[in-house]
Amino acid sequence: TLRLICTTTPVQRKNAGASGPEKYTDAFIKKQIEEFNLGKRHLANMMGEDPETFTQEDIDRAIAYLFPSGLFDEQARPLMKHPNEVFPEQRKIQWGEDGRPFHFLFYTGKQSYYSLMHETYEKLLNVQKHQDQLIAQDLPLQKEKRNLAGSRWLTKIELEEMLVEKVSDDDYSRFIQLLQKLVALPCADIEEKYIQKFSKEVPVQLQKVVIEPLQYDERGVAFSTGEGKRKTASATAVVYDNGTGKITVNGTDILHYFPVLQDREQLLFPFQFLGRIGKHDTVCTVSGGGRSAQAGAIRLATAKALRSFVTEKEVEFMRQAGLLTVDPRVKERKKPGQEGPRRKFTWKKR
Amino acid sequence: PCRDTARALGSSPASLAPCRIMPVRWSRYNPSYLEPEVKKESYQKPLEELTEEERELMELKAVRPIKAAPPTLSSSVFSDPMISKFTNMMMKSGNKVLARSLMSQTLENIKRKQLEKYHKAPENEKETIECNPYVIFHQALKNCQPIIGLSNITKGGKTYQVPVPLTDNRKRFLAMKWLITECRDNKHRRTMMPEKLSQELLLAFNNEGPVIKRKHVLHKMAEANRAYAHFRWW
Repeated sequence: TLRLICTTTPVQRKNAGASGPEKYTDAFIKKQIEEFNLGKRHLANMMGEDPETFTQEDIDRAIAYLFPSGLFDEQARPLMKHPNEVFPEQRKIQWGEDGRPFHFLFYTGKQSYYSLMHETYEKLLNVQKHQDQLIAQDLPLQKEKRNLAGSRWLTKIELEEMLVEKVSDDDYSRFIQLLQKLVALPCADIEEKYIQKFSKEVPVQLQKVVIEPLQYDERGVAFSTGEGKRKTASATAVVYDNGTGKITVNGTDILHYFPVLQDREQLLFPFQFLGRIGKHDTVCTVSGGGRSAQAGAIRLATAKALRSFVTEKEVEFMRQAGLLTVDPRVKERKKPGQEGPRRKFTWKKR
Repeated sequence: PCRDTARALGSSPASLAPCRIMPVRWSRYNPSYLEPEVKKESYQKPLEELTEEERELMELKAVRPIKAAPPTLSSSVFSDPMISKFTNMMMKSGNKVLARSLMSQTLENIKRKQLEKYHKAPENEKETIECNPYVIFHQALKNCQPIIGLSNITKGGKTYQVPVPLTDNRKRFLAMKWLITECRDNKHRRTMMPEKLSQELLLAFNNEGPVIKRKHVLHKMAEANRAYAHFRWW
């Protein structure tokens, strides 16, 4: 089974709409919307503004003026927003007045999920039938390979939002496996539209970063700056062109500042990777952290500075070598009830 | 178990370097981050020479974010992932400086011993003597790796030693662990670690010595317990 283990991504938002039983009927929400629109017009009249062009920002300003509140909690202050934003998108009550549910899979507990699985499997069977027909007529099967690298499947949270229902990890992985099986068949182009509903474009990574142009100092020598961080150390590096390969850190040569070979190897890593060891002069300032953290920070700073000297392809190679990523690893906090971040107290039998 | 989850999370193609660690526990990186490729040669290959797999991997790398290269890894000829793994295993209380110096002294010792042998040997044997300490290190490790391991399985109240296949990572780890423990425990107190290690590595290179013996003992035990092999369920 695929288990989502990483717990530090910011994508882990809770989907408030899917949790909890159904609370509001359709009619209730409609009434709330009518009351909101009426109230908006009254408010506009009160403030002396035109009711037709009264936007949400105007409403917020009017409420803040009429009901000033000194409460710290933003969510406790008086609020006037469209009901669709106030009431999270929940499933309306799924049964009629006689108590009979609308959907035929209601009693499974996860009606939208199972209906989705049924639909997808139906598409799979369609594709297989089409394939069999083509084989029966001795026609060649289409082998155009879908570019998997440029797209990703919906995440579990996005699927939950789509179905407005809680989806467990197991269910999600089963759904993804079914989709992958569908895509792997040769004649899957028939159901392309259906598959596109569940896949998203992933843009090429390199386009996100802006590379600064070279600057020139008084002597006419090209230079470029870069900043880097690692653990608690932060460094700035200025890389000059037409140099001899000297590197100065906080006014001292690297041989004196970093007595350990590993740190010096890290400083030279970007230059060695690009093959420009004797060609650039570097002046860096670094503060904070320990010896290895400072070396890592300077390495990142020099790599960022070197981007301006080098072609786009080489920048992509540097990124794939891991030179341009900020290392997110920091010291893990100590937890209560334990001696350190992972070490527990000595277990005593009595 | 955790290993299967790790393998399911992201498969590593066979073309990558040997010591690639898969994140088993949680890590500060999002699972979509890929491992960095540091060697310069892999970026200088023209497009036509790549196989299907490598082309797909390249396309994937263009889209996914990549982890930062760790401080022990660099593109210079002197950085070797196996050597850094070995140094980390030799390290005590985070004293990487000492471990690194011991490792470099060991390699120097190997080179000196081999050069002595080289200069003393007659002409026809000079070509067979290997002087490169890195080659000796890799070959010695390879010779020490066990093929099959034993694992304790409790069935019906009794614990049996069942022969079990080992993964590449586990084999490498066992070979390195045996070498280090052999040097730490079974030698004379006053000899220095580089000396002991270089001696062990040279013996392992020639398929002799106590570490190779330990490997053969393990193989014999596995062969003896062949009858319980069906207890394994994975």
